[in-house]
Amino acid sequence: MPASLKNDYLSAPDDALVGWAQKGDTEAFEQLVFRHRDKIYARAMMMMRNEQEALDLSQEAWVKSWQRLHQFQGDSSFATWMTRIVINLCLDQIRRQKKMRAESFEQIEEDLGGVERQMAVEHVNPTEGLEKDELRKRIDEAMAKLTEAHRTVLVMHEFQGLEYKEIAKRVGISIGTVMSRLFYARRRMASLLQGLRRERSE
Amino acid sequence: MKANFMSDRQLLEIMAYSDGELDAPRRHAVEKLIAEDPAAAALHQELIACATVLRAHEPLGTVPETREFYWSQIQRRIDAAEKASARAKAPIAPVFGWLRWLAPAIGVAAVALVVTYQQRPGPTILAVGEASSMTFTSEADGVTISWIN
Repeated sequence: MPASLKNDYLSAPDDALVGWAQKGDTEAFEQLVFRHRDKIYARAMMMMRNEQEALDLSQEAWVKSWQRLHQFQGDSSFATWMTRIVINLCLDQIRRQKKMRAESFEQIEEDLGGVERQMAVEHVNPTEGLEKDELRKRIDEAMAKLTEAHRTVLVMHEFQGLEYKEIAKRVGISIGTVMSRLFYARRRMASLLQGLRRERSE
Repeated sequence: MKANFMSDRQLLEIMAYSDGELDAPRRHAVEKLIAEDPAAAALHQELIACATVLRAHEPLGTVPETREFYWSQIQRRIDAAEKASARAKAPIAPVFGWLRWLAPAIGVAAVALVVTYQQRPGPTILAVGEASSMTFTSEADGVTISWIN
């Protein structure tokens, strides 16, 4: 590849790369992979909590996106479109593994509104004490403590920005269950983050 | 501050209010609750703060492989998928090409067989004198049987 063209790929916006990739340009697609691979992998990792599965699903997401690139109309950003693909693959994988059913005992108690009602209200202040990178790490650790069902809803709402209705449709649960799981997940996260801060200050 | 004296519905509606998911009448009801009940207001603040912290600090990840290796695996999968798709769409191999002529030939042969079979002289039943007598003749067997009532 001529050096000038290589520079074009490096400096080109996503839209331009997508346009070239839609015409079959694999180098442009490779550049898109390079730009967004960490985000896509991180989203899969957040959902699956397993490095190998996250790696595999993130790669599968790129293959799917190459195959469906002609469907990308630019209604959302390329990164948003990609994260949607990887989230859907993660949901399929979770369904296949029936992990959610395996957790049913714990879930039923939580979904019915047991423990979260008793939790004291926490005052979560992101700027207090923790550095940004450390807070990210702590959030990641806290999320690992949630059940898959709660984490899935939390990721889809907070990071994917989906509404209750959309989450319900994609996960295949009622809006009431989405709300219940999200409520629990947020309260538990608030509690875990506060606990981590307390540990740190001791 | 405990939030356990509110009903489940109220707790969830406070969250839905924080997320902008309520219609106007329910929104007004929650606003009233938050204004009147410090526990509801504290819960509302906690939910908003938690969501804000999460959205602003999405955990990052780094693909635990080099760029080249990661891409080579994707490229290999794309190539494999394209080859599989091409195989599925490919016409029948030339060595079996003559098979496509076999189907109509088998059809023609089947029709010919049926016609031939129908034209074979078979047993005939002749009614003689209305229902009073009946004759059965088999030319193949050279037999004729007659019933007379």
